[in-house]
Formats: sequence, structure tokens, C-alpha cells
Amino acid sequence: MKRNKFIVIGSGRLGSNIATSMSELGEDVIIIDAQDDSFRKLQESFSGYQVVGDATDLTILENSYIKHAKTVVITTDSDNVNIYLAHICFYVYNVPKIFVRLSDTDKGKLLEGTTIKAIYPFNLSYSEFMDLNVGEEDK
Amino acid sequence: MKIVITGGKHEADYIVSKLKKEHHHLIVINQDRDFAEYISANNDIDVFPGDPTKAYVLSDAEGQNADVLLALSDSDTDNYITCITAKKLFNVKRTVAKVKNPKNVELFKRLGIDSVISSTYLLAQTILNESSVENIIKTLSIEDEKIVMLEIGVEEDFSIVNKRLMDIEFPSNINISCIFRDPHVIIPKGDTLIKADDKLIIITTPNDQDEIVEYIQKRK
Repeated sequence: MKRNKFIVIGSGRLGSNIATSMSELGEDVIIIDAQDDSFRKLQESFSGYQVVGDATDLTILENSYIKHAKTVVITTDSDNVNIYLAHICFYVYNVPKIFVRLSDTDKGKLLEGTTIKAIYPFNLSYSEFMDLNVGEEDK
Repeated sequence: MKIVITGGKHEADYIVSKLKKEHHHLIVINQDRDFAEYISANNDIDVFPGDPTKAYVLSDAEGQNADVLLALSDSDTDNYITCITAKKLFNVKRTVAKVKNPKNVELFKRLGIDSVISSTYLLAQTILNESSVENIIKTLSIEDEKIVMLEIGVEEDFSIVNKRLMDIEFPSNINISCIFRDPHVIIPKGDTLIKADDKLIIITTPNDQDEIVEYIQKRK
């Protein structure tokens, strides 16, 4: 089985931008969102596939070639949904690379024992603030 | 037993009232403030208002090391997260999730939830069982109902499977006249083996009928 798909779940600002960039880099991208109008955020250079549907339904995931995924990026607006989907991708479909966005840093504990990588906007903003603040004080 | 009950409306209220009578140590968590108060007043018990998918809520409610956790909210995903949090972070021994989507029964089990309950799934199982019961026995009375002919489908866990007829201690007044083993029809002898999925055509009397059906359907 060839794993060559790059799947993005959740077409918000982050998801749609990742999907567009990876598509520009030549990846075979599939983006899933429950709402049709979320795909408006995709740039014109996006040349992948759009799937409208609830990704927590396995039929939708399988129709989106989850079995052929080399990477899945999960960015829906619910941490619970994101972790649930990450677990499904890891334990059921053995996707090699899984990235998941989490607002609540505590939830990261549920990813222990897996190779799932979490992205925490909180941590990123916080360290950015600390860096910026240090830069200011040096002046 | 220490039992944690999270989410749910009337089912939570019912389960709390049942379990309370049996003097279990109950911890009740409900995100809906009004319903939390209702359950609390109805059952004379403390209810923690909060979101059970958050680790600090389970921690504040002292749910660690519970024997069982039941997740009864209307969201399958939330119930999954509650159960996994309880198992991974709070050493809860058994987790039970309610699901709306019957397809999630197998999935949740595969992901490590101990028991998964779907009313639709149970309903479907019940209907399947009921219809198989109807299929198992067809009877035909002949000679003014003094003789009955039964047709019984053999399932793989029946104790008579893979035994020779002569080695089975059948009740009295039984004659296995014919075995239908698709596509063959076998007129059995003493050394004929009974196999799963066979259909046995049996001649007996109305008085012995119940005992025979019960004997043949005995499971291993």
C-alpha cells in the first residue's frame, strides 16, 4: 500500500493555510471540513481535494484515503475531537506522521505513548511574548 | 465499589438512584448546572458541576482509582475523551461509554474503552436474536397433532456439534429423520457427525418436543 496522501482535517485559518502551502510544494493534499463554506479560506493555488463531512465518521475518513495517508494534520476547533481523531489515525490506521493542534496544554498527556505531535498555540504565543519582551527591555 | 458517573440526563438520574440503594461510593459529575442540581436534590447526593473531559474536573471530584466510570453525555467524542482520561491519567479500572452512533461500538473497544453501549446497537442485536429464534424451530403437526416434525438449525456452540449421533444421549421419543447440510440431504445413521449449520429434521411427540428442543440447543 502506497502512503502518499497529505490529509488536513479542519479548514480553519491554520488548516487551510497548511493545506495550501503543502499543495504548492507538490503534495497530494486532501482537506476535510464539516462545513462547505470553510473551504473559502483556501488560496487559489490549492490544487488538492476537498471533502465535506464529519471526520469522526469513519466512512468519511476512509473515503478521504486515510489508509493511504503519510501525514495527517488535525486542526478542528475542538480539542476533544482533535485528540479522538489523532487516536483513530494512530491506533486504527497507523498513520506515520500525525500533527494535532491543542488549545489546552493539559490534554497533551493523552498523547503519551504515541508518536503524535502536538502544536500548542498557547506555548507559541507565550514564548513569543517572552522573547519580544526581552527584546524590548534590552533597548 | 467506587463508581464515577459523568454526563447524561435521565439515564444518569436513574443509574444514580439504583446504585445508591446498593451503597456504592458514587461520584457524580454533570456539566449541565440545572441538571446537576436536579440529580443532587432527587438523590440526596453531591454532584460536581463541570466538564468531565477536563482532567482537573476528574481530579477535583477525586475520581482517581475508581472501579468503574460511566460516560453518558450526548457526545460520543466527549465520552471517549472522558473514558481515556480516566484510564490513562486516573487509573480507573473499567470504563463504560454510551454512544449514539452504533458504528462506534467496535471502534471504541478497539481504542481501549472496556464497554461501549449503544441503544441502537442493542436493539439491532435483539432483533437479530429474535429473528434467529424464529428461524431455528419450525414445527409441523401431523396425524391430529400426535406427531410433530421439528426443524432445528444447529449453531456452532451447541454441545452436540462434532459428535456422532450414537454418542449423544438424546431424550426419549426422538427420531432424527433427516439432516439438511446445504446442498446435501443426509439420512443419518449412528455414525453420522452433527456439524454446525446443519438443519435437523426431527420427528417426535408434542409431549417430548420441549425437552428435545432444550436438549439440542444446549450450549457448550
